[in-house]
Amino acid sequence: MRNISLILKQFSRTVLLIAGFAILGLSAHAQGDATKGEALFKANCTTCHKIESQLVGPALGPLVTAETDDKWLTKWIQNNQALIAAKDERALKIYNQFNQQGMTVFGSFTDGDVADILAYIRADWKTQQAKATAAPVGGAAAADAGPSDLVIWGLIGVIIVAFIVILVLNKVIATLERLMLKSKGLLPEEDLEEKAPVDRMAVVRKLAKNKKFVFFVILCGTVACGSWTWVTLWNTNVHSGYQPVQPIHFPHDLHAGVMKIDCQYCHSGAYKSKNASIPSLNVCMNCHKVVKQESPEIQKIYAALGYDPKTQKYDSTKAKPMQWVRVHNLPDFAYFNHSQHVKVAGIKCQQCHGPVQTMKEIYQYSPLTMKWCIQCHKRTEVNYKGNAYYDNMIAVHDRIKRGEKVTAASLGGIECGKCHY
Amino acid sequence: MDSNKKYWKGLEELNKTPEFVEKNKHEFAEPIPIEEVLESGGLLGKTPRRDFLKALGFGVGAVTLAACEKVPVHKSIPYLIKPEEVTPGVANYYSSSYDGHAILVKTREGRPIKVEGNPNDLLSNGGLSAQAQASVLDLYDVSRVKNPIQDGADSDWDHIDAFIKNELTAIKAAGKKIRIVSSTINSPSTLAVIADFVAQYPTAKHINYDAVSYTGIIQANQNSFGKAVVPHYNFDKADVIVSFGADFLGTWISPTEFIGQYVKNRNNKSLQSKKMSRHIQFETGMSNTGSNADVRIPILLSEEGIALVNLYNAISGTTLAGSKKLDNAAAENAITLAGKELLAAKGKALVVAGSNDVAVQTLVNAINSLLGSYGTTIDLDNASNQYAGNDAEFVEFVSDMDKGDVGAVFFLGANPAYDYHSGDAIKAALKKVRLRVSFSDYTDETASLCNIIAPNHYYLESWGDANAIEGYYTVVQPTINPVYNTRQAEQSLLVWSDNAVKDYYTYVRNNWDKNLLAKGGLSGQKGWETLLQTGFVKAAAKPAGSYTFSHELTAVAQTILDHSNELAAANGDKTKVQLQIFQTIALRDGSRANNPWLQELPDPVSKVTWGNFAAMSPRYAKSLGLEQGDIITITANNYSIDLPVLIQPGQPAGTIAVAVGYGRTKAGLVGDKVGENAYPFHTFRNGTFQTTAVATIKATGEQSELAQTQTHHSYEGRNSIIRETTFTEYKKNPYAASGHFDEHKTYSLWDEYERPTYNWVMAIDLNACTGCGACVVACSAENNVPVVGKDEVRRRREMHWIRIDRYYSFNEKGSLITKESEINQLSDGDLDNVSVVYQPMLCQHCDHAPCETVCPVLATVHSSEGLNHMAYNRCIGTRYCANNCPYKVRRFNWFNYWNDSRFDNYLNNEHTQLVLNPDVVTRFRGVMEKCSMCIQRIQAGKLKAKMEKRSVKDGDIKVACQQTCPANAIVFGNVNDPNSEVAKALKSERTYYVLEELNVQPGIGYQVKVRNRTELEA
Repeated sequence: MRNISLILKQFSRTVLLIAGFAILGLSAHAQGDATKGEALFKANCTTCHKIESQLVGPALGPLVTAETDDKWLTKWIQNNQALIAAKDERALKIYNQFNQQGMTVFGSFTDGDVADILAYIRADWKTQQAKATAAPVGGAAAADAGPSDLVIWGLIGVIIVAFIVILVLNKVIATLERLMLKSKGLLPEEDLEEKAPVDRMAVVRKLAKNKKFVFFVILCGTVACGSWTWVTLWNTNVHSGYQPVQPIHFPHDLHAGVMKIDCQYCHSGAYKSKNASIPSLNVCMNCHKVVKQESPEIQKIYAALGYDPKTQKYDSTKAKPMQWVRVHNLPDFAYFNHSQHVKVAGIKCQQCHGPVQTMKEIYQYSPLTMKWCIQCHKRTEVNYKGNAYYDNMIAVHDRIKRGEKVTAASLGGIECGKCHY
Repeated sequence: MDSNKKYWKGLEELNKTPEFVEKNKHEFAEPIPIEEVLESGGLLGKTPRRDFLKALGFGVGAVTLAACEKVPVHKSIPYLIKPEEVTPGVANYYSSSYDGHAILVKTREGRPIKVEGNPNDLLSNGGLSAQAQASVLDLYDVSRVKNPIQDGADSDWDHIDAFIKNELTAIKAAGKKIRIVSSTINSPSTLAVIADFVAQYPTAKHINYDAVSYTGIIQANQNSFGKAVVPHYNFDKADVIVSFGADFLGTWISPTEFIGQYVKNRNNKSLQSKKMSRHIQFETGMSNTGSNADVRIPILLSEEGIALVNLYNAISGTTLAGSKKLDNAAAENAITLAGKELLAAKGKALVVAGSNDVAVQTLVNAINSLLGSYGTTIDLDNASNQYAGNDAEFVEFVSDMDKGDVGAVFFLGANPAYDYHSGDAIKAALKKVRLRVSFSDYTDETASLCNIIAPNHYYLESWGDANAIEGYYTVVQPTINPVYNTRQAEQSLLVWSDNAVKDYYTYVRNNWDKNLLAKGGLSGQKGWETLLQTGFVKAAAKPAGSYTFSHELTAVAQTILDHSNELAAANGDKTKVQLQIFQTIALRDGSRANNPWLQELPDPVSKVTWGNFAAMSPRYAKSLGLEQGDIITITANNYSIDLPVLIQPGQPAGTIAVAVGYGRTKAGLVGDKVGENAYPFHTFRNGTFQTTAVATIKATGEQSELAQTQTHHSYEGRNSIIRETTFTEYKKNPYAASGHFDEHKTYSLWDEYERPTYNWVMAIDLNACTGCGACVVACSAENNVPVVGKDEVRRRREMHWIRIDRYYSFNEKGSLITKESEINQLSDGDLDNVSVVYQPMLCQHCDHAPCETVCPVLATVHSSEGLNHMAYNRCIGTRYCANNCPYKVRRFNWFNYWNDSRFDNYLNNEHTQLVLNPDVVTRFRGVMEKCSMCIQRIQAGKLKAKMEKRSVKDGDIKVACQQTCPANAIVFGNVNDPNSEVAKALKSERTYYVLEELNVQPGIGYQVKVRNRTELEA
């Protein structure tokens, strides 16, 4: 009996296993191969679709998960135009929702291919959702990992309090000790203590009578005050290091440093105009229509433009100008032209603006004083090679012949009227 | 041989009046009250030292506190979505048109900041008038209407549209007349819109009404040749020009175009080929044209008609009934000689008259026909559309209104309540009109009488077109979004007439696609885009036909002589004068009176700014016991005004001349109450508005100082500033008068500057310059030159970097005046006959500049490119430089003109400041400024060459005054380049340098003025 029961048990297990495998296998077949699907998705769909959010077409994750009618989905993916032409209700709804922009027809997809893709989308959406629910916990942990400002200030507070307590305690101990000594009648030190300050004052008085010393002190004082005044006056209205907080936290280190985006991609005026120009927000949108949509800083761009990332529509009534804080502020009476320096002279942006590619937030690197301008004009050699403009300049030729440096200054680059008009 | 002719800027200088001598002795125009301070109170007070210390202490404290302000945080606001064609910091140019001239509008970051001539413009080849240059300022005028207005209250367009449509339907049903009154419209699209409107409302009619009318010419051509047009005149084809009071270089029909034509036969190129036209002017008041004439014969208004009849007699060899000799023997002689010269130049002669009288113009037609001018100097087949006003139609319209027949009236660019001779009649008649609509963008005199103001776009905000000369079509395109809540008048008319085309842009497009593009060989979208770039199309000109006058002239002559007799009635009566109404170059008909640039532009002849005056001859004023600035009451046509007297040499005794365009009451902040309105002196006679009358004058005993710039900035009587010769003399010796042959050794205290690559210099041809003043306004627009206002001009504080000096001299009579003392022996009679030379004066950029050596802070220094730099932020305002400048071209900023409530009528509001050129800094109070030779343009030109990796080409860089000059009198360039235009111009035999003897080595060479004056003196 026991054997039979064992056999039965084993048999039923086998059957169950087989059945289970079979079901698994079947369902696996119905769901398609997610890895295959991933490859297909990335090759064909990412231009217009994202799983978690809307791009040109709708966000596929929630949509495909909610839609259970795989047959209809397959039809739609393989030839949505046919469905629309056939006036399928659901198809028309989507079509109209997206401004009657038809989706590309993928006639080459087999039913299996579509199933693979759907499997990938559903699986990926599932993992994403799982991550999202876990994320807040992780986020909190991440926040705890670094000491917050509050903690640091708390610690400092505690140390200060402890220090005060120690001081007070020391004082108390000292008082108690003195009381003990007093009660014992042992207090000869008091006289000594009173004499010491008298002596000190005497030293000061003596020094005050010493004319050489007084002269020396006054001299030192004058020199110190003088040099302080000198430095302060020279640095009045010099704002190097000025780093205001900008309305959007724009990390130059990320864009120019890590991503290695050319300065002139955004500051396109530098090549052709006197203004390097702060890019208009449509330049940001070239990338940020897709990249990092969720970032609160990017949301500020959307808000300024009146752009809704869900519907991908601009509402100009909600648009409001972005007010950046001006960092480099040359006075009106000095004319400066970026193109002259960037295009003609071929000077690197960093020469005046500093290591922008490492700046978290932009700051003023150079003093922008006239002395600074002139120094550079005196030292920098003119980039005359290959520029026919300089061909007819006799002065340049003479200097080159004599083996002298051709600087901006030697071509009249430090004359008043060249910048002040 | 130095010129011994004595030139003088004003009678004060000539007569050495004590005030003039006194004023010129002082370093500054206004004495600095140092002595006053020292004598009264001041240092003699009880405790001057303590007070001084208190003031000093308080001052230092206050300044310190004021300086403790935090550095302001500047915001940078980029475009949200940058338009593709805009690069901040780079100007965009759009082609458009102004008054039928093709122009380029310079915009920066979407706002127009300057109007420049289109170099391909067929009328003036890139030259522009002062009005066109100043027009950009009006765009930002805060006095403009900001919303549509109904019954004096702001309204909105929907409301107004509904109201007007209802009214129009009712008026149409009642069968009342509807009238559209406009100044001349030559825009084909606007005319089509009006035609559509008239089709919708058949009782409607369009009336052209010009404040200063040319109906006389139109009517005369209709009578003589059956063509009711203003012909197209070709002054360039005329060897002999005789003008009777036509100010064709200043205000007559198309002056900017005529300057170019006129100068073509008088400029350097023409002189080199030993050719020069001859110009004889008979006129009363000294006009800009008269002052440029080779021979100017002053005649009374009453003599003009007789002179014309006699000229006809002289040319035709017949004698018209009623002709008589002129009492003025000199003029009679001149007429005979002019007749001979004209006949000798048959086919290349032109006679024009400024009168708006049909009879006068008919007689002129007869003379021109005899001279064979039709088909050569006068073109009736490619007529001008610039003026089409019909005076009789307008008068009829006024009487229609008065009768109560008119149900609705629309005013488009017309302001008859101000400029009709009987404004009161308009006011009374308008009350009887049910619907009164004005399209004016100002609440002007007429608009304020209307129940609806539907403000029109400014031309810089509009779509449109123009057709100034038959076959020449220019396009108007907007350069900025509408600044205020305005709507284009044509758009309004489309809406109110329920036109099938709802939008005026589409209407213009359709009209061009259908009718106009083809004329220039263009078509379709591509053609339209080409048009927007080139700015115009030109149809092939029709062959100019030759016309012969064959009508009876007896009646015509009789009308002319009758009017002469009427005017002559004033002669001999001490209280009566012959009154001439004219236009000034600056304000013209007064429609732009609210433009401060124009108000401050000195009239070329009188040099008066901010107001009009009664011009009279020195002799006549003396006989009446009047002096300059005395206010007289002028009465004519039951209307009287009080105006200050201007002593005008060259004007015959017994006449006064008064300018229209002033005395606006509702022009806006700037134009209100400047001068007096002279339009009511117009009379409606023989079917046209006429500009002559007999007036009575009476001294009021009051005084008002004219804001005149003429004797400011004097040269202390140094001669050798103006050099002049005659054409005969020039042909004999081209070097005549230029002083080239008295070379002498010069010594210099200073080192020579090296100018290795560039040496920017200028050449100014005095024979081409007509003194029109366009350069002055162009310079103000380019260089942010402030306007100072009437009071400050009176204090000699005008800020113009370039001024046109006007010098008088006596007409030689056989002998030259060799000594100054001889001037005093001249009789007053000689002052009636003077000649005029204009000289544009600006910083000469001397190589040995006297200003540079006296500046204690080196704020003005020399550059290696031959320029005299001025660093404003370095200047501390000692004014030593201005004092040491022999040319008196430096200007001191007495105020922050753009931030001072005393100058509210100019830049003191953020809105108007949008017109400032962002490439030129505004100067602060207390610093000196002067012409920089448009250094911003030089730098930009060099930079452009560097970026394109090429050398600077001659002509790449044009300075603002040169660019706008309709006469091309100014040439700028690099004299180091021997092939440059300027180098060639300076090599001319006529070149001389002003005050050459000082050896300051100025960078601007002038070319001797040549007058074609021989035969008449013979």
